[in-house]
Amino acid sequence: MCSINPAIKFISLLAVTFFLAYRFDPVLNFAVFLISVAAMLLSGVRLKKLCLYMIPVLIVAVGMFFTGYRFSADHSMPVTTADFLISDSRWWNGLAQAGRVLAYAGLGYLFALTTDRIFLIRSFKDQFHLPQIFVYGLLAAWGIVPHMMQEYKRTKAAFRARGLSVVPVSPALLKPLLVKSVRWSEELAIAMESKGFSGHEKRTDYAPVHIQIKDILFLIVCAAFLFAVALLR
Amino acid sequence: MKTKAWELKDIIMMAILGVVFSAVYLAVFDGGVLLSTLLAPAGLGNFSFEIIYGVWFMAATLAAYIIRKPGVALLTEVLASAIELLMGNSGGLTVVLTGVIQGAGAELVFALFRYKKWDLVSMSLAGMMSAVFIFVYELFYLNYIALAPALLIAQLAVRFISAIVFSGVICKLAGDGLAKTGVVKSYAIGAKAEVGKVYDEEDD
Repeated sequence: MCSINPAIKFISLLAVTFFLAYRFDPVLNFAVFLISVAAMLLSGVRLKKLCLYMIPVLIVAVGMFFTGYRFSADHSMPVTTADFLISDSRWWNGLAQAGRVLAYAGLGYLFALTTDRIFLIRSFKDQFHLPQIFVYGLLAAWGIVPHMMQEYKRTKAAFRARGLSVVPVSPALLKPLLVKSVRWSEELAIAMESKGFSGHEKRTDYAPVHIQIKDILFLIVCAAFLFAVALLR
Repeated sequence: MKTKAWELKDIIMMAILGVVFSAVYLAVFDGGVLLSTLLAPAGLGNFSFEIIYGVWFMAATLAAYIIRKPGVALLTEVLASAIELLMGNSGGLTVVLTGVIQGAGAELVFALFRYKKWDLVSMSLAGMMSAVFIFVYELFYLNYIALAPALLIAQLAVRFISAIVFSGVICKLAGDGLAKTGVVKSYAIGAKAEVGKVYDEEDD
């Protein structure tokens, strides 16, 4: 999964997500979730990392289950009687709500955890013709992120050294971070423009991103899955 | 305002704000999950997110407030959501779409004011419009239409208040605070701001 063209991967998985949005089918949702998890494990995502990411998702899924279970709008349910594996429509409603959360999260993580950020931006530039000025802006911002993380930790440590405890998103932590980030971004912009990375001039690429056969195959597999589901269920 | 066109520094600024807010979004999301765990058995899990929903509109209004150019609100919200996705958001790929929808809501309000009115009223309205836009989307996408109407109206009301508090009041304060430090001198917001002193590492 990691080497598949990010632009193609994005389109394919987005198509699957939209397809699920038009279906009211818990079984399908749970199946998609399991397939996503399997694909992630096969492409080398560590199990521990995955479990950590899944904790909030599972909690939300449980919350959505109870919401669906309790506040079921009794009419207008797009389910035919043949679909009732579980006889109680409240249970079905709850499961459908919970299954959606799981399926969307599974697809989202599948994309996020198997995609390299730089590769993603470069592929969006070559496949979606993202304007150069965005490409440089995004790459520059991405380069600042590690500094921001360090700055955040440093500010937090400074507070701790003074015996003060601050909550993770407190303004006391975010203000210095914002101020420094704005400074960095401005300095970086000036530096880049002085080197000709303004986005206005046409530049050539050292390594353009091309669509390969495996990317097309991935697209076809996703499309085939959707067609099969649409025909069979 | 010198020019309406985007410059490289605007894009980097938007991306930086996107990064900061995507981190905030994720942190707040986990907080919301905690809250919803407490409310879930009562079937009110949804409300925990309504209370903090305004947080998700902050990137758009704050960036627009600072840079004050057309399209900034929309693009920053999209960037924040895209980065949120890459950092591991549980909403999945459509989080980018929600970013487009929320950003479009805020952008619409600023456009109706012809990008000339930048105060608490326009920012609050921008947040509320984002709330309306995303609510309509959720009706279908999250199947909210299968929930009872009275619950939906209550949800929307709570979301409005949240939008005013977070993307109106707090963003205004944050923007003004930033302008006071002097770092945003070269942006529209800093052009008119009275800078008392240059921000120093020793401050704050």
